[in-house]
Amino acid sequence: MIKFDKVSKIYKDDYIALENINLEIKAGEFVSIVGTSGAGKSTILKLIYAEEAPTDGRVFFAEKPLDSISRRHISRHRRSIGTVFQDFKLLNKKTAFENVAYALEVCGVSREEILEDVPQILEIVGLGDRQNKFPHELSGGEQQRVAMARALIHKPLVIIADEPTGNLDPVSSLEIMQLLLKINKLGTTVVLASHDRDIINKAAKRVITLEKGRIICDEEKGKYKIC
Amino acid sequence: MFLTIGRTIKGGWNNFFRNGYLSIAAVSVMLLCLFTMSSLYLIVLTADSVLAGMQGNVNVSVYFKASVSEESILKAKKDLENYSEIKTVDYITKEKALEIFKKNSASKPVILQSLEEIGENPLLSYLVIQANDPNQYDMVGEYLKNASFKDDISWVNYRDNKDRIDRLNKTISEVRKIGLGVAGLFSIISLLIISNTVRITIYTHRKEVEVMRLVGASNTYIRLPFIFEGIIYGLVASIISMLFLYVSLRLSAQFTLRLVPTVDMVSLYLSNFAVIFGMQILVGAFLGTVSSWFAIRKYLKI
Repeated sequence: MIKFDKVSKIYKDDYIALENINLEIKAGEFVSIVGTSGAGKSTILKLIYAEEAPTDGRVFFAEKPLDSISRRHISRHRRSIGTVFQDFKLLNKKTAFENVAYALEVCGVSREEILEDVPQILEIVGLGDRQNKFPHELSGGEQQRVAMARALIHKPLVIIADEPTGNLDPVSSLEIMQLLLKINKLGTTVVLASHDRDIINKAAKRVITLEKGRIICDEEKGKYKIC
Repeated sequence: MFLTIGRTIKGGWNNFFRNGYLSIAAVSVMLLCLFTMSSLYLIVLTADSVLAGMQGNVNVSVYFKASVSEESILKAKKDLENYSEIKTVDYITKEKALEIFKKNSASKPVILQSLEEIGENPLLSYLVIQANDPNQYDMVGEYLKNASFKDDISWVNYRDNKDRIDRLNKTISEVRKIGLGVAGLFSIISLLIISNTVRITIYTHRKEVEVMRLVGASNTYIRLPFIFEGIIYGLVASIISMLFLYVSLRLSAQFTLRLVPTVDMVSLYLSNFAVIFGMQILVGAFLGTVSSWFAIRKYLKI
């Protein structure tokens, strides 16, 4: 599903974020990327949803090299990826329903379809009765679930979660993690960047450990550790 | 497609109203630009019609000696009419000349009295020649000098407005140049201000824009609301400018009528309403689109 072929990313001022990364993530996998801050976790995710382009090497998504996608078609590529972030990135002036609906609106989906799909997906993430609440009326865990509903609304092939539990209490973190595992079980590939030791150990899935832009450890059923 | 356009127009419309003072600033500067342009356009239109009036007034009168027969004068008239540069040749008989003279001197009884004392008509018959173009009178003069009937001519009178016409022509072209310069300057200023306004709008909407990108909105979809915002600035500015123009013409009508009695600027405005309004909308929408376009390119990196 996702393949990194000798990928390096060097930012301005010669800051090396990633160095010679070779990585393959298969369809339906659940992969956690761990490492300290600045190890390159977020950069890997940004390369996948084409927010950044590699300085060297190539990134493939569903067999296709991302550098072959024109700027015009990047938006289509992003629709096949759902993204979830530490800061939720919800629009404060919109209700939970509207936040999710917005993702469909901007892609030209009709009003009827929106009215049908959005309540369904909110039900799946457990917010069926909180649809008309604004983000400030929801708890952190609930806000993140709205963000997950928004990420799922396009029925993406891959969910990318960048520190989704970073701002949450342990209970909410666990709930979000369970939701991610559930989504994965239904067939969606999940790539999770985190340094939440507990939830990664509980998941018992593949763990890739990064340090200073290099993969130092890649284990099936791994644990959060510094190898 | 229609859904996208509808949603993005709505977005632009909302931006326009939510920006408050920013929108007012953008519209004002655009208004200044459009108002100046159309005022200058109206001034040039007025000057043009004054010029046309004056050109109609230029002519050459050829007075024939009293001894020359009517037949010879008519022959001369026919000769002159053959020249392509000459538009019309009118024959004014002695009697007609007297009539005109009496009419013109109606307020001067002394002159009329002395005329009566003479007892006979002292005036000469003459031909009034009008050329197609004021610049052609030199040539008409040449024709007269070499004409077969040159010995019959008593004298030639140029009612010469040529100097005034030349001066007016020059003024009009100066006004055009200055107008273009000022309009250009205002266009650049409004481009900058509108880009800035749109840039600030984008900045205040940066979170929305970020989310739009993440959920896979196309670049066009992200861009359109800002473009529509720019177009709305142009439209609103042109409507206000048309109103301003009408009101200021109305208010200054007395003054302008005294200055240019031959042209009523209000009716000139009304008869050119479609042209001026269309021009303003085009320029306004163009400025709005271009400035938004630049602002987005710089800001969104798309």
